[in-house]
Amino acid sequence: MQNHDAGVSGILEALRTGRISRRQAFKALAAVGFGGALAPALSRLAAAEDALMGPGGIPLARPDKPVTLPLWEDPIKSGMEPETDGTFTVFNYADYIDKALVDEFGKQHKVKTQITTFDSMDQCITRLATHAVRADVTNITPDRLAQAVAGKLIKPVNPDYVPNLKKNVWPSLHSPFYDQESRYTVPYTVYTTGIGWRNDKVKEDIPNLSNPWSIFWNSQAYKGYVGVLDDSREALVLAMLYRGNYDINTEDPAAIDKALEDLKALIPICNPKVNITEYQTLPEGTSWLHQCWSGDLLGGVFSYMPEDTDPSVLSYWSAPIGKGPIQNDCWAISATTKKPVLAHMWLNYIVDNTVATDNFLNFNGYQPPMNSITPEQLVAQGRIPANLKTAVMTAADFGPGALQEMTLTPKGQALWQSAYAKFVSGA
Amino acid sequence: MREHSGIYPRWLWQAFALPGVVWLILLFLVPFYAVIGVAFGGVDPIFMIPVPAWNPLDWNAESVIRTLLGFLPGGDYWVVFLRTTVYVALALAICLLVGYPVAYYISRHARRTKSVLLALLVLPFWVSYLMRMLAWVNLFAPGGYVNDFLAWSHILPDPPDWLNGNPVSVILALVYGYIPYLILPLLAALDRIDKSLLEAARDLGASPSSAFLHVTLPLSMTGVLGASVIIALPMFGDYYTPNIISGSPTTSMLGNQIDLFFHGGPQPSIGASLTLILSLFLAVLMTYYMYSVARATREVRDE
Repeated sequence: MQNHDAGVSGILEALRTGRISRRQAFKALAAVGFGGALAPALSRLAAAEDALMGPGGIPLARPDKPVTLPLWEDPIKSGMEPETDGTFTVFNYADYIDKALVDEFGKQHKVKTQITTFDSMDQCITRLATHAVRADVTNITPDRLAQAVAGKLIKPVNPDYVPNLKKNVWPSLHSPFYDQESRYTVPYTVYTTGIGWRNDKVKEDIPNLSNPWSIFWNSQAYKGYVGVLDDSREALVLAMLYRGNYDINTEDPAAIDKALEDLKALIPICNPKVNITEYQTLPEGTSWLHQCWSGDLLGGVFSYMPEDTDPSVLSYWSAPIGKGPIQNDCWAISATTKKPVLAHMWLNYIVDNTVATDNFLNFNGYQPPMNSITPEQLVAQGRIPANLKTAVMTAADFGPGALQEMTLTPKGQALWQSAYAKFVSGA
Repeated sequence: MREHSGIYPRWLWQAFALPGVVWLILLFLVPFYAVIGVAFGGVDPIFMIPVPAWNPLDWNAESVIRTLLGFLPGGDYWVVFLRTTVYVALALAICLLVGYPVAYYISRHARRTKSVLLALLVLPFWVSYLMRMLAWVNLFAPGGYVNDFLAWSHILPDPPDWLNGNPVSVILALVYGYIPYLILPLLAALDRIDKSLLEAARDLGASPSSAFLHVTLPLSMTGVLGASVIIALPMFGDYYTPNIISGSPTTSMLGNQIDLFFHGGPQPSIGASLTLILSLFLAVLMTYYMYSVARATREVRDE
């Protein structure tokens, strides 16, 4: 009987972690004589599956379906002193955090600091999972949180060490839908996906078009100077939004195929470039119309604007709430840290008003979700040109009605990736 | 029975091959088997990272077969495979048209300047491939020096957009990037040709062009094939040249598809399958090259 129990547990565990399908679980349970007895439990699991389960049985978070991530260990106790000596490793995208700020943190806490970089979130997860890097803190996107928690790659946060979160950050991100109670993360940057263009080249009044996304399908005049983001989700979402399909986390093959068809139609119209260099090409004028992340446009103004070009030649449009994608990146504590208290200090440091503002305006151009930063104030201070006020977000942009590209099931991911591969193959 | 010097142990000479064998095992066979393992393997259900199937008994051929079917006319990879083959074939042809005379000149006619010319040939290796391609972007940009010159000189009053999905630019960039790798082995092959054979041809009444066509060219064919294989293999897998020079889906190559599937997502087995299929295709070229070399060696030995 014990063997039977072990077998059943193994099957249920495999089902829970997504290694086998519900059908395979039924077959396996029937084989060990438990098919009928466990049918109700399996039905519950089936219902949960219908609600889209992620890795480790964690439901897939959506803005209107918040998720409280399970604690795989207790957070550290309150009131401990931060560790000193040794090296504090920050795992991050290249050029996404000002090294001077990282060094300053190290100086404050008497540790050496090191920035280790990754190229993509896939690489981040892979390197953490294979222990190829021993990070203390890591940058992470909300769509990877279920993976990171199920795989025990990040540690729970004790909020007592992060008072700046409640004090300085937008209330809408104190307990975000992807991590209710902020059990594992603090937000780092926020950005929209919209349209960036050179208003000295593109003559259409894009914000006032009945469907601004349609500009890409009417851009024959700008052929060769049009760009689409090199990102399987963003590129296909562009085509979905063009058709007024706001279910941007869909796993419906018909919807994805339709988006692919529309995306492919762009090739004869404007032969778009597929890249993520719009932060450079728009200011330099080698691109005139580009699907764009708001942070890249602001970063472009800060760092790539030629001296003889007025930043007012750049324009940005993002859709109203619920009609265009918004995203945010986060910081989390790596499970491999030997300095958990100091890692908490980092989370608090990163949402300090001065640090966050400095990193935004003097380094990467990606806006932190701080109460102290408003579009009006940035324009009044002359930090951004008035025409790019639209690239700055507000707290109201986040909420249940927002559109955010979130985790898909492996099957869904494969559908999106295969469709995107067909687009970029130019077939 | 092979002779060997009595003062050295027999194994000494075989031991010289050891570093090469270890190198091949560590840096070719093991990684290649890993690619096979990924192609026939699965993915971790949580992290979506490849889980190679090391044991052939555990292989799942579904992904490989599906990818292979994609190479058939009308399949997912047919167009990109065809485009890659055409780009590589044209780039190779241009490399040979430009590179052969250069190698021939250096081998036959450059005397005092030979070392200088050789140094000039090696010079591009001092600058990384990536930097050379980025330099091209600046040179060929709409307001770059090339277009400025073409417009100023009225050669092309309205110069084309070289960098906006222009296949000509991608092919020329491939030529520019890979031609040094063709010239050097070709030069070595031409240098190895016994000059007395040419003198004999001339003594027997052959004109210079006839001597070239009937002596130099046939004797350099193994060099041509070898140099072609050396540059064709990396060109087939190239993905950054079309990325940097064009960035348009209309000029993407098979390497871009491999990059896409390997770069992330739940289908690394497709990326590995594409790599395997490309390797098999290239193995045909390699086999022909090896057959040609073996035949040439046999002919020389028989003479």
